[in-house]
Formats: sequence, structure tokens, C-alpha cells
Amino acid sequence: MGSDRDAGSDAPNDDPVAVELDGVTKRYGEADAVADVTLRVREGEFFTLVGPSGCGKTTTLRLIAGFEAPTAGAIRFGGADIAGVPPEDRDVGVVFQNYALFPHMTVGENVAYGLNFADPPEGVTRDERVAELLELVDLPDVADRDPRASRGAAPSASAMARALAPGPDVLLLDEPMSALDARLRERLRVQVRAIQSELGITTVYVTHDQEEALAISDRVAVLRDGVVEQVAPPRTVYREPATRFVAEFVGDNNVFAGRVVETAGPGGDETTVPATAIVAVDGGGSARRGGAESETLRVGLGGVSGAAGGNAVAVGDRLTFCVRPQHLVVGDATTNAMRATVESAEFLGETTRVTLDWKGRDLVVRTQDPPSGEVVVGFDPTDAHVVDASR
Amino acid sequence: MGGSKTGSDSTPGTEDGVSDDVDSGGPTAAVGQRLAALADRFDADLLTLLAVATSAVLVVAFYYPVATVLVEAVVVDGAVTLAVFAEILRDPFYVGELARLFAGESPVAVARALLSPDRRLGIVGFTAYQAALSTVASVALGLPAAYLLARFEFPGRRTLRSLTIVPFVLPSIMVAVGFVATFGDRGTLNAVLATVGLPPVDLLFTLEAVVIAHAFYNAPLVARVTTAAWESVDASAVETARSLGAGPTRAFYDVVAPQVYPAVLTGAALTFVFTFGTFPIVLALGGFELATVEVFVYRLVRDLSYAEAAALAVIELVISLAVLLAYLRYEARSSVQSRGVRPLPRRPLHPPALTAREVLPRVGLAVYAAVAALIFLAPIASMILASVTGGDGALTLEHYRFLAQRQRTGAAFQVRPWPAIRNSLVFATAATLVALPMGVVVAVLTTRKYRGRKLVDAAAMAPLAVSGIIVGLGLLRGLVFGVEVAGWRIAATGAAAIVVAHAVSGYPVVVRTVAPGLEGLDRSLVESARALGASRVRALRDVELPLVWPAVVAGAAFAFAISIGEFTATVVLATGADAYTMPVAIERFIGRRLGPATAMGVVLLVVTGVSFVVIERLGGEYRGL
Repeated sequence: MGSDRDAGSDAPNDDPVAVELDGVTKRYGEADAVADVTLRVREGEFFTLVGPSGCGKTTTLRLIAGFEAPTAGAIRFGGADIAGVPPEDRDVGVVFQNYALFPHMTVGENVAYGLNFADPPEGVTRDERVAELLELVDLPDVADRDPRASRGAAPSASAMARALAPGPDVLLLDEPMSALDARLRERLRVQVRAIQSELGITTVYVTHDQEEALAISDRVAVLRDGVVEQVAPPRTVYREPATRFVAEFVGDNNVFAGRVVETAGPGGDETTVPATAIVAVDGGGSARRGGAESETLRVGLGGVSGAAGGNAVAVGDRLTFCVRPQHLVVGDATTNAMRATVESAEFLGETTRVTLDWKGRDLVVRTQDPPSGEVVVGFDPTDAHVVDASR
Repeated sequence: MGGSKTGSDSTPGTEDGVSDDVDSGGPTAAVGQRLAALADRFDADLLTLLAVATSAVLVVAFYYPVATVLVEAVVVDGAVTLAVFAEILRDPFYVGELARLFAGESPVAVARALLSPDRRLGIVGFTAYQAALSTVASVALGLPAAYLLARFEFPGRRTLRSLTIVPFVLPSIMVAVGFVATFGDRGTLNAVLATVGLPPVDLLFTLEAVVIAHAFYNAPLVARVTTAAWESVDASAVETARSLGAGPTRAFYDVVAPQVYPAVLTGAALTFVFTFGTFPIVLALGGFELATVEVFVYRLVRDLSYAEAAALAVIELVISLAVLLAYLRYEARSSVQSRGVRPLPRRPLHPPALTAREVLPRVGLAVYAAVAALIFLAPIASMILASVTGGDGALTLEHYRFLAQRQRTGAAFQVRPWPAIRNSLVFATAATLVALPMGVVVAVLTTRKYRGRKLVDAAAMAPLAVSGIIVGLGLLRGLVFGVEVAGWRIAATGAAAIVVAHAVSGYPVVVRTVAPGLEGLDRSLVESARALGASRVRALRDVELPLVWPAVVAGAAFAFAISIGEFTATVVLATGADAYTMPVAIERFIGRRLGPATAMGVVLLVVTGVSFVVIERLGGEYRGL
């Protein structure tokens, strides 16, 4: 369902496809770890698989590396099917979450290991290649060190150098920063991206951290339960999530669902999308607050053609849309005014994240000076993004 | 990204890499490429080759011989029959009162007879009875050691812990000599009793001596498995129980005991199986009056009653396997993987306060230490002492002189020391060279994931469960006497048969030491090597084996020690005049002269010790990984 939506975002870039997954399924016993996944990673692209744990992102990476064989579907490198090709013959570089540095070798021997099976570039000796790679990852003079003694960013960088030394066609990174503290992680991801850009190497990156995925990638694939929800550049994923799941998974969001009671602007027929719709929003789920009563909100439909497949929106349709917390303005009573009560506030430094109760549902707002008690919040209809429209 | 991976000519993206190299390096490089590709191909086939060789050795030296013995038990005069089994099961000589059950009497009457004081157990019943007693003794002797090792800190604790493996590899016949030297009517125990004015005791050829000797062997085993379980109890679980209101004793019963007692059961089950199949200890310490099944099988073999021997051995095997299977089922249900736990803190040996709670356990341990010293150290010390003590009690080297003289002037039919030593060393070296690759291959095959892995595991581990007498008998009647295969008569020498028998009995220990190491390795290490271009075998060679090297060395040491000490199969196969080993020589001496037997025992002790140290040193530089 995701892949046809982002056909649009695929279009502008026509670099050749380096890695292609075509209807790939991986089944363990009864359960599909990866279900009918179709992805195309372009040459030189930094492509990220992101999703909650158990979404199949690591399995997808292991399928590409050749550690697992797909139950169905094909994986192609540069257009050639690589079914049955063992990992050692795939020309991939892999960095694992725990780095998997060989503890019985020095850092230098680790980096040199892949050169047993692949020659360094012409005119470069093994030792020069090792030094060059360690230089690249900003780890000069550590070749003689015991990998077990290195701390901080060093193990991750060593593993990166080792993976790159034989000159792989594709670099596969499986949550290589998840064991690091936040500050180090941020520094390292800048470095990883810089190295990737310098080498121009096709990279598939796996992370559960959506913020990291947005920060580092050319394109992001959001996975859930083995299914691709959306493939798009980070900005698109953030601004125009294709599904409710993406809207809620990537960044903070306020998601509403309801029924269209009125449309305005041109169109309103079968083919043209009207400018705005007035939606009677479903009440909050919790009965204890008696929030079953509905409220109407005005929603801009500007993004519908992109997100909801170009269907026209008419009265009576079900609509799911989202509004980012920074677009909910406190004290703006003009449009979509919602009278809510402050429930809690988390101080985050630059802003405060305030959770409000509006008719039994939670609203999240970001603000500089946290309100208290009763507040009125509103949003511009054009800041709403429709993730789903159905009859 | 100009790299290319050698030896992968059938994969995308490598053709251009290869041609690059040919262009730049000329014909020499091309030849080098080809050689590398060839080496890689050989590498890939090496594992298959070794697996095939291992299977072949197992079939030739284990499955075929054992099968021939089984056939012998059920085929009488060319017809398949269970008559031999039926005869044994109805014979009170073998199965005691239970024979009446098989003869059709009511179970109640049989049960009443079994409970009466003048019950007859038969050989099978007696074997089970002594195994049960030995199990109780081993657990009683092993648990305090586990308590000491798991809960107390003292200088030498680690050494003591690693010493618990030693009895496992001590040649049993040597231990028997040590027990004779300690508990015999002129042994050290009676000498000590005489000096303090107590009447002498005669423990030799009694059930007590056999049970104590079994405890010597198996208590350390119980201690090892229990200590390991005790050390894996998470201190925070106990602390949680304490914070919830449980006292120290209650916390022990509720939290510690449930995690420790499966390990005790493991030790007990293994002890029962080992002592049920006991042979050299009973042969030397019990004689035929206290014959167990295994000893009687041996006697039947000597009397050439092969069918009866085979049937009896099958009955023994069935009982052992039943206990093992019952235990394995239990283990599968109760095994818990605990990793990264914070173990319970160890206490000092000297009591920090003079309270009953602190002092009493330590007093108990002191008493235990005295008993343990008597049981574990006295036999070895007595053997050494007896080997340098003459008939008059004075220090002398006459027993060693006797050995030297026998070496010079011994007749062809007499046991001479040097051939025994040489044979032991040659057989053990050869057996280790065969067992080590077998063990490593099986360890690799059983730690991978595939369908039928359990079957491979069971087939490979079967030699652990089958008695050495059966294997020896099968090899003797098959390979050594000769078999006809497609018109060719194939016969192995006794020496070759001994080597393969030793290899087959030693390699499961190699598997057991290497497999956990391989299993414990992080999977991503191998996967990293694969992604970097290493084949499966290459990754095994470059990454896995170096990382589990200490286990491989330990496995080799065990295989060597097991071969040096192996008695059961050897005594069956070494019927010729020239294939006897040190344990066989000791057994031949022990009946007639204790002195030379102890001297020979000391030689065996020295050879075993030295070879152990040598192997340890060879693997020394890899220690501590």
C-alpha cells in the first residue's frame, strides 16, 4: 500500500537502482517477519529502514546481506538476482549493533581482515589501505590496539573501517549507534553521513530512532509488522505521512478521525478535491470522561491528492488527518478553537511539551511558556494533513 | 571500491575485478588467483570431507561393532529370537526376585519378597543398588564442596575449582590401586589405626570400598554442576526476597534452592548412569563376588558366551538409556539460561563474628574438609607411599627395581613396563589426533541450526552411553578377527582397534568442551567475517576456532587423558601379547603383587600429569581469552 503512494517521490531522482527488493517475504514458522516488501535503493543513496522493534527492519537488512534467504520474492543487486549467493560473495559491508570486532585481533587486523579476500585498490598496499580507512573514520594510530580496550565512538568507527576496507558496493548498518549515549550518537551520525557522502557508497541503515532516520537519510522507509508503510525523503515523511501509523510514529502528532459534514471551495464532485472540509471529529476513546460528543473542525485538503491517492472528498467520507504540535497555537480562538484543560507539561529545554485534555482525548502542544488550567487552542486548516480518506 | 573477492567466480560483480588483477599483475598474479581459488574450494570442501571421515570412523569403530554384538544377542543358530533375553529375565541369578515377576508370579508377592531382609537382587539388581548408594554418597560428598566453592572466598578457590575436573580424567584402574593401598588390610588406613591403637578394618572387596571409590569419581562432578548453578543465582533475586520479608533461610529455600536443585539432579543422574556401567573399580575393588553387570559381561566374554554377554549388555544399555532419557526430558523442561547475573557475594572463610550462624557452617566445612582429604588425597598419597615401601615397612625402591628387572628379563607372556608405557603414549597420541578433528566437526555440526540436528547430536553422542565392553567386543569379533567386505577380507590389528575405540570414547568430550564455546560466540562475529568475504569454513578457521581455542586444547587434553586411562575396551582388545597399556598392566599386576602395581600406578600418574601439563603449556598463549 505504501509503494504506490510514494511513486511520486521516486520520480525526481533517476540514479540507477543499486539494491532492489521485489515482493520479498520472510516467514518464520507461522509469522511473516517481512511481508511482500518492495523497495528500490538507488546508487549512492543513504536509505534508512525505520520502525519500532519487531517491524522487520533488521530482517530486511539480513536478507540483503544474505544471512537469511527470502521465503518469497527476489533481491537484486544492480539488476541481477542474487538468490543463493552467499554473504561472502555479495560485496556488502556490514556493521552490527554490537560491532562484532574480532576480539583476538588488533584493530588493524580487524580492518585488514576483508583484504584477505579482496585486493586493495590498485597501487595501495594492505597496510596503506588499513591506515587510509582508519584515517577516514578519524581513528589514526589505533591499528595496534586491542579492540576490547577501545571505548566511546572507537569500536563503532573501527567496525565501519573494517566494513569499508574491501571496497564493498553496498554498506549495511544495523543500528550501529544504539549502544551509545545521546551526545556521542549525534556526533557520530554526522560523521557516518560525511563518510558516506565522501565515498558515495550505497548505504542501507537500520534504526528504531525516527529522529536519527530523519536526520541522516536521503530517503526513509517506515516499516510496521513487516510491511512498508511509506518510502519518501525525510521531509515528506514528516510533513506528509502516508498513513496514520507514520503520522504517529514519526515525531509528535495529533491525529483526528471523523466524518466530512460539509465541503467548501471549488470541486466537490467526483474528480476534484475541494479546498476545505468540515469534519465532525469522533469523540475521545475514554468513556470515563464521557467524551463521546463530537466537535467539528475545518481541515485544508491541499495535500489530499498526494496522500490519499487523488480521490475526491465528499460529504459523508471518513477522514483521518493530523496536526503537528507546533501548529496547535495556544490562545488562538479564530480557527478551529478547541477548549481544553492542561493535563501535564514536560520541560524539554527549547520548548515545553504540554498535554491537554480536549473532550476526553489527548492533544499535544509545543510552547515556550506553558499555560495552566483552561486554554483555547486552534490551528490553521492548511496545517492539517490528511492521511486517509475513505467512503 | 576497486576490491574484488577471490574465489567467487560465479557471482555478479567479480568478473571485472578478476580481469583487473590479471591486467595489472600479469601471468604470475593470474596463477596466484587460480591457486587462491583452488585453496578456497578445498577449504569449502574440508568440512564436508571431515564430516564424512567422522561418520566413517563412527560407523566402523562404533555402530558396526555394536550392531554385530546386538545381532549376536538376537540371532541364535541363524534364527531371530528373544530367547536369550527371556532366559536372562527369568533367571534370579541376574534379576533376583524380579525374575519371578517375569515368570508370571503376582507383583504383590514379588514386592513383598523384595522388601524382606533375605531378598535376592541378582546381578542387575545389585548393580542398580550399588549405583544408587554411590549416587547418594557422591551427592553427599559433592554438595558441601559446591557450597564451599560457590559461597566462600579463600586463597586457592579457583585452583580447587579447576581441580574438581581431575578425578574425571584420572585412570580408574590407578584410583583402584590407590584405594587398595589405602583401605587394604595392610593399607595406610590400617597403619594409622594401628598407631592410635584401634582395631584394623577390612574394607577391600566390600560394597563400601566400591561406593567410596565411586564417590571419589563422581562427587567432584556433582560439585562442579552444582557450583555452576549456584554461581548463576542472581543476588538481586535473593535481595528481592529478603526485602519482601523472607529471612535468610526462607530466601534460600524459596530462591536459591529451586535454581540449584536441578543441577544436583543432573549430577545425580549422570552419577547413576556412570556407576551403573562401572567396570574397572568393581573389577579391582570388588572382584567377581561383587560383580556388576559390566563385570559379568566381561566374564561372559572371557568364557566365550557371546550371546549371553551381548543380551546382558543390551539390558544394561536399555536401563542406562532409560535413566538418561528421563533425565534429558526433565532437563529440557527445567533448563534456564541465565546471563549477566550478579552472583551472590562470597564470604570469607574466617567467621566475621562469633555467632552460631557464622561459625556453624564453617565448622561443618572443616569436618567436611577432613573427610574429603581422606577420600580424595589418601588414595593418591597411599599409592605413592606404597610404591616406595617394602614388605617390612621401610622405604625402598624394590618395586621400581622389579619393574626394571621385568623389563629386562620378562618372558614374552609376561607384562613388561616399557611396552605398556610406549603403547599408552602412542595410542593416546593417535587417539587424540583422530578424536580432535572428529570432535570439532561434530561440535560445528551440532551448533548450527538445521532440521535433524538433534538426531545428529544423538547419533554422535551415543558412544557416551554404550559400554566399553560392547564396543570392545564388537571391534574384536568384527574388525580384529576380520570381516569380509565384497570378497575382501579386512582385519585390523588390535592396536588400530584400540586407537579407534579410544578415539570414539574420547571425542564426545571434545564435542562437549568445544560446542558450548561455539554456541556462546556472538553470531555477528561469523556474519561479519562472511560479509567481509570469508567462506563458512574460512570464518570457522579465522574467527570461531581461535576464539574457542582454550576449549579445543582442553578437549585435546581430555581425549588424551581418557585414552591413557581407558581400561574397559582396551582390556577386551589387548588380548594379544603386545598391545597392552599401562592400565591393563596395572590390572595384571594388582591381583598378584600390590607393590609393582603401585609403582606402575605412579608411573601412570606421572605420565598422565606430564602430558596434561604439556598440552596445557602448548595452549598456554591462548589462555585468558
